Amino acid sequence: MSETIKVTINLSPSSTIAEVKEQLAGETEIPADRQRLIYSGKVLKDAETVAAYKIQNGHTIHLVKGAAKSGSAGPESTGASSGQPGANSDTSIPQNIAAGQGAFNPLAGLTGARYAGLNVPMPSMESLGFGADGMQLPDESQMEQMMENPMFQESMRAMLSDPQMLDFLIQQSPQLSAMGPAAREMLQSEYFRNMLTNPQMMRSMMQMQRGMGGPSAPAFPAPGGASTEAGNSASATNTGGSGSGSGSGSTTGSAAAANPFAALLGANMGAGLGGLGALGGFPGLAAPADNRPPEEVFEVQLRQLNDMGFFDFDSNVRALRRSGGSVEGAIEALLNGNI
Amino acid sequence: MSLKRINKELSDLGRDPPSSCSAGPVGDDLYHWQASIMGPPDSPYAGGVFFLSIHFPTDYPFKPPKISFQTKIYHPNINSNGNICLDILKDQWSPALTISKVLLSICSLLTDANPDDPLVPEIAHIYKTDRAKYEATAKEWTKKFAI
Repeated sequence: MSETIKVTINLSPSSTIAEVKEQLAGETEIPADRQRLIYSGKVLKDAETVAAYKIQNGHTIHLVKGAAKSGSAGPESTGASSGQPGANSDTSIPQNIAAGQGAFNPLAGLTGARYAGLNVPMPSMESLGFGADGMQLPDESQMEQMMENPMFQESMRAMLSDPQMLDFLIQQSPQLSAMGPAAREMLQSEYFRNMLTNPQMMRSMMQMQRGMGGPSAPAFPAPGGASTEAGNSASATNTGGSGSGSGSGSTTGSAAAANPFAALLGANMGAGLGGLGALGGFPGLAAPADNRPPEEVFEVQLRQLNDMGFFDFDSNVRALRRSGGSVEGAIEALLNGNI
Repeated sequence: MSLKRINKELSDLGRDPPSSCSAGPVGDDLYHWQASIMGPPDSPYAGGVFFLSIHFPTDYPFKPPKISFQTKIYHPNINSNGNICLDILKDQWSPALTISKVLLSICSLLTDANPDDPLVPEIAHIYKTDRAKYEATAKEWTKKFAI
């Protein structure tokens, strides 16, 4: 009894709503006297003009088919888009509430209803290492537990096979995007995927890391983190080849050199170079030093804080540092005013 | 600060509104909005257009907006004054929520009422015991007040 359609129409600011309805009647076959147009929460009156309602280019007007003055047919609702010549408005409807403002968040789908009710640790922004600068990473035993969970493995696999997600990962990390197509290839390769989703592999790497990093590296990042961070380290290996890398980059570089896996993988060359960094990068990951500027480390959180109306960059960064990258913790600190 | 956030929500709503809701300032006062919700097609409110008023507190988004129905509606969680019983408008409010998300939540409340936490116990009782009667009354009210 109900359907939703979308049409794009061109309006002139001086036309009246009655004229707009006539125009829509032609497009939708809904007689003008049965149309109810709604914009910005208001019902548009026939005698007013488009300009009076400040209807803007590319914005959406909702059209609801009202009860006919004589008729009986069931009502239906229609979305109508307005657009001035040349502008093809293409409004997309968010698929779920989480998608809300249309911001692309590939993780939303992964953590969505599919997994609802199952008490499974899902890769979140934080655990993926986009946000936390190394402070909130799960410890080894948690990590191991998580790895053995088939749900987790599945979600990791789904994530890596989603081209949109890969784009997102690559985009997130300047080093990865600098690698160009090789980064994609590396992340997409069956080998890399298996590596991340294979608990044994992860375990042996952890052991290796213990052997090399010693007790100074208790934390181990989530495997998702590996894909981003590993990319960082990968390029550290590339650029720091001469041994001039600094901070965690240089640790990584040398660790990679000492890493038996690296030699193994190095034979692949090309994309293998990325893989080499990825493997060698693990010890480097545990290093607490993060030399990236705060606007990069906290990019996501800072944007969220800005969206919520906190505009003071310095105190935002301070609050985030103190909360270990947690937005909620940062808000609390900011509201308490002790930052 | 709250103005900045409200302005941002306004421009987001204009660019990419939810399919079934629409909202904007009543006049020049950005703290007072009106909104409309099209009755969800799979509910007895289908075909109706329901108007709501939205008042933003000055400490928005740290406090929830005050939202009430201006159109009469027969629903277990909405009373005759238009007050809405919805957790995210009260103790479950989060600054990460937006008007767009709240309106979508109200839409889904129209589709799936929550009779276990009713604002109008009589309607909730009918909803639970005689669903057909509830739907018929809700349809009738929609026809009378919202179409």
